[in-house]
Amino acid sequence: MKLVDDLLDRQVVDRNGQKMGRADSIVLDVHAGRPPRIVAIEIGPSALGDRLHPRAGRWVRACERALGIADHRPVRIAIDDIQRKDGKLMANVASGETGAVNLEQRLRALMRTLKWS
Amino acid sequence: MKRAANVLLGVVTSIGGFVEAGSISTAAQAGSEFGLALLWAIGAAALLLAILAEMSGRLAALSGQTFVSAVRERLGFHYQLALLVAELLIDLLLLTAELGGVAIALQLVTGVDYRWWLPLVAFTGALILWLGTFAVIEDGFGILGLVTLAFVVAAWKLHPAAGAVGRALLPSLPAHDPVRYAFLAVTIVGATVSPYLINFYGSGAVEEQWTERDLPSNRITAYLGMGFGAIVSMGVLVVAALVLHPAHISVHTFDDAAQAFRPVFGKWGVPVFASGLGIGCLGAAVEIALNTGYVLAQGFGWTWGADKKRANAARFSVAFTLMLFASMAVALCGFDPLSVTLVSVSLTVVLMPVVVLPMLVLMNDEELVRRHRSGPIGNTLLAAITVLGAVLAMIVVPLEMMGGGG
Repeated sequence: MKLVDDLLDRQVVDRNGQKMGRADSIVLDVHAGRPPRIVAIEIGPSALGDRLHPRAGRWVRACERALGIADHRPVRIAIDDIQRKDGKLMANVASGETGAVNLEQRLRALMRTLKWS
Repeated sequence: MKRAANVLLGVVTSIGGFVEAGSISTAAQAGSEFGLALLWAIGAAALLLAILAEMSGRLAALSGQTFVSAVRERLGFHYQLALLVAELLIDLLLLTAELGGVAIALQLVTGVDYRWWLPLVAFTGALILWLGTFAVIEDGFGILGLVTLAFVVAAWKLHPAAGAVGRALLPSLPAHDPVRYAFLAVTIVGATVSPYLINFYGSGAVEEQWTERDLPSNRITAYLGMGFGAIVSMGVLVVAALVLHPAHISVHTFDDAAQAFRPVFGKWGVPVFASGLGIGCLGAAVEIALNTGYVLAQGFGWTWGADKKRANAARFSVAFTLMLFASMAVALCGFDPLSVTLVSVSLTVVLMPVVVLPMLVLMNDEELVRRHRSGPIGNTLLAAITVLGAVLAMIVVPLEMMGGGG
């Protein structure tokens, strides 16, 4: 598997076919004397922020805390739970059980309360 | 038969979608100041747009991916971020101009100041976006947009000399004020080749689940639709050229442009112009707002789709709604809609290379477009458009500073 071509920035879909986001960063296990090993992918704006600049990552995390959606973010999915299919990354998790769709769920609940759905 | 009907509907939609605040204002200004001389710029701009729209549709039909989504995967987050910021900025300005265009159209008909109409226009746009499906939004405005054919009828009734029109379809040097002439030619391109149209077209193809079988209809829709759309814009230019240019009246407001239709339609001239302007701008406003949702959702991998229940694509829905009302707030600040239009089309030109360059990469990616990769002609065209875009981007601001902006 090629890190950049096959993993990074690819659409991630959960086991129910729901879009979870994109593979915003990759977590590597690096030990001296051994080749690096891919451990997980991360999903979430704070992971993207870190990719841009550590300060941007901190700023995004502060925004997430202010919005009350910081729980379990960025979402980390073990590489063993991921399969590549048709250019997408199929994650063997349910998005609702991760923090990936916190904001989506929050907005969805608000819309249903306001009967805007 | 069904396929033929879909192609026809697609062409009609493209005609309706082509005409909006930018194309109407730049065509009217060009006609009033330079007669028929800038007709070629509309033709050239429509050809550029058709080439890019066809590629966007081909990409979507073969990979199920839109331009924005493919850019994220192939060129990475940093390039996508630059594209996203550029596109959101252009969308904000364009949307402000389109909302202003609808409000000005209502002002032309009612005499009530356009700022009073802005909240109602934004609310109507939001209502259409929240209640309509993709087909209702795209096809509905496409069919309503046929009212803009009145611009072509007006041009026809003025009996322009066929030879003069034919000659004007070839680029020529201006008899006076070359800086202004060049600036208007560049802004006509900017008003036509909007990034939102390219991504919106591809997003529509994904929404309608195009496949490889739709490639012929994609080509027909892109080229015929944009071609007929260009004819409508040319209608505005011809009317301004035959009515305003001989009287030495330049277009500084949409009201000036509306006056060009009085000699043709009499007392109905202004309402006819206002109908075309209002419907064209409202259609464009709804599409631009929707495109904001597309760009953000596709870039960050959210659930999206105008055919989904809004709560099932909550971030997407909130994004397009916020953009609509943010643009309304900018418009309410009192900026002249025509000036905002010209700034937005100039900015579109500046950012054109950022938008066009990725196409060169994407249309040669075998995983995305399989055996339908761009051939030598397609690649040469894309490279030429990229270079042209870069040249236009470099000259548009100096031209404006040298007095081309009027």
